[in-house]
Amino acid sequence: MKALSNYHALKKFQSLLALLVLCVVLCFMTDKFFTAANGINVLRQIAVNVCIATGMTLIVLTAGIDLSVGSVLALSGAIAAGLLKQGISLVPLDLFIGFTVFGVLVAAMVIGALIGGFNGFMVTKFKVPPFVATLAMLTIARGFTMLYTGGHPISNLGNSFAFIGTGSMLGIPVPVWIAILVVLLASFITNNTRLGRYIYAIGGNEHAAKLSGIKINQVKFIVYMVGAVLAAIAGVIVTSRLDSAQPNAGISYELDAIAAVVIGGTSLNGGKGTIWGTVIGAVIIGVLNNGLVLLNVSPFWQQVVKGAVILLAVVIDKIGEKKD
Amino acid sequence: MQKRLFGNHLIILCLALLGFVQCKTDRSANKQHRIAIVVSTLNNPWFVFLAETAAAKSKALGYEAKIFDSQNNTALESDHFDNIIVSGFDAILFNSTDANGSVANVLKAKAANIPVFCMDREVNSVDAPTSQILSDSYSGAVAIGKYFTQQLNKKGKYVELLGIVGDNNTWARSKGFHSVVDHYPSLKMVAQQSADFDRNKALEVMESILQAHPDIDAVFCGNDGMANGAYQALVSAGKANTVKVFGFDGAEDVITSIGEHKITATGMQFPKIMAETAAVFADEYIKGKRDFPKKIPVSVELVTAKNIADYIAYGKK
Repeated sequence: MKALSNYHALKKFQSLLALLVLCVVLCFMTDKFFTAANGINVLRQIAVNVCIATGMTLIVLTAGIDLSVGSVLALSGAIAAGLLKQGISLVPLDLFIGFTVFGVLVAAMVIGALIGGFNGFMVTKFKVPPFVATLAMLTIARGFTMLYTGGHPISNLGNSFAFIGTGSMLGIPVPVWIAILVVLLASFITNNTRLGRYIYAIGGNEHAAKLSGIKINQVKFIVYMVGAVLAAIAGVIVTSRLDSAQPNAGISYELDAIAAVVIGGTSLNGGKGTIWGTVIGAVIIGVLNNGLVLLNVSPFWQQVVKGAVILLAVVIDKIGEKKD
Repeated sequence: MQKRLFGNHLIILCLALLGFVQCKTDRSANKQHRIAIVVSTLNNPWFVFLAETAAAKSKALGYEAKIFDSQNNTALESDHFDNIIVSGFDAILFNSTDANGSVANVLKAKAANIPVFCMDREVNSVDAPTSQILSDSYSGAVAIGKYFTQQLNKKGKYVELLGIVGDNNTWARSKGFHSVVDHYPSLKMVAQQSADFDRNKALEVMESILQAHPDIDAVFCGNDGMANGAYQALVSAGKANTVKVFGFDGAEDVITSIGEHKITATGMQFPKIMAETAAVFADEYIKGKRDFPKKIPVSVELVTAKNIADYIAYGKK
């Protein structure tokens, strides 16, 4: 019995353990890794993925997936930049609407909510499999990004907007604060609210959840919307960091987010996993990216190593499941 | 259920057929000549500019122009060529995805008597394309390499940011640069990493590199997007004044930055010249001319703070 509880404790902290091992190894290989400056550096770099992956976790917990996050990031970032620079002019009404930094942040989140709502609508009302619905949105949103920007970046967005991506408070970068806020909120929702329990219930057994009176469609609609809003926030962060909205921003970010979710121990079949697991997954990917560059590993090998780590994480998880 | 499914398919089929009929009437009613512009990717402002200039020039010459995006995928490019041949375009202005992989596509067009004019990127065949107007990436990178060694007084530590590692241009630029710089043993490359021609990736990679090598003197980037990203990382680290950044392309942001003494130099390519020359050649071909130079190299020019007054984004003033 004691052994079993030890085993469960070990399993719970499995990904954390993997992260520690990775950090210790990197400490031995380069003295540049374990410094305060590099720590801040890694945190700043993973903030975007943490935002996206947190939303992805909620969706994956309901046994869904969202492949459109990278394109949503690009579109909302581009629209934020465009509104900030040009505002909206309604020529026939002779009306011009300018946007503040806070205004464009809200506008980007509204765009995210609309796209996420559309994804949710397709998944719940038309029963389009999430993989297909969001795959379609991946190209649609990318296409709209190209249409909106004409394929050219929108640059020089001003100092007050740059604060979101490059500023810091109490020595910690603003994107990291945003990520912390997002994680705390999502963690509270999954652990302490009815909505959180519904999310787990749907992923665990959708049919049973339906029979017990949970409004499945409503919950799913909410998670797709939240996922896209978080991707939109990530879009504003990326745009602000670069001082430029790039039409090709966020390509393949969905894969990084899914990797963080999976490494963090969330099952792609839904019902099992935690936000904190995902955060650790995102940190592992970030530390790995950082470490491979610090060690100047060849770009060819980096791709092999990253793939291998993802496989390893899931294999360990599966071995654990079998024992259960 | 079966019946309904069939019904649905029938509707879709009818719609599809209607689409074809629509296209057909369009073509027979409209005798205007048409030019296809096949570009390797539209995910990069440089290629968007190339494609748009080619389309604008074609339209100015009185043609209908359509842009096809190969999305860096030679197989998709092959599909585009099939569609172009079937729908009977009169000429193709072509920016290839791969020097060797695209040869078969060009041969297909040639067999269908559609002339192909290559822009910027070479296709490794003497006969297949009617003419090639090419950017000389290698020599451009050699010129940057020379200026680089001169600016660093032949000694120092530097970082190289490569583009997409499976891309021909990445290596043409890297090799041209190293053909000069590697002759000076006191110039040490402390890191060589890929940032996929991407501004954000370059920012992140550069941030990490600066942790390992805070004492570098210069960065050579395979394109201007990465030069921008690297420069931003240097600004955040407070090293923008001590580390020299070198780019490649002549994109808008970098031309402005060179003018403000932020970025040291870039290699100016001339997408406008290449695209317009290709469009003019296509026009001449359609009007009956058959004798074209097989290859026209368009040199890449070194742009620095000294001669920046002569340049604008993607070209000369």
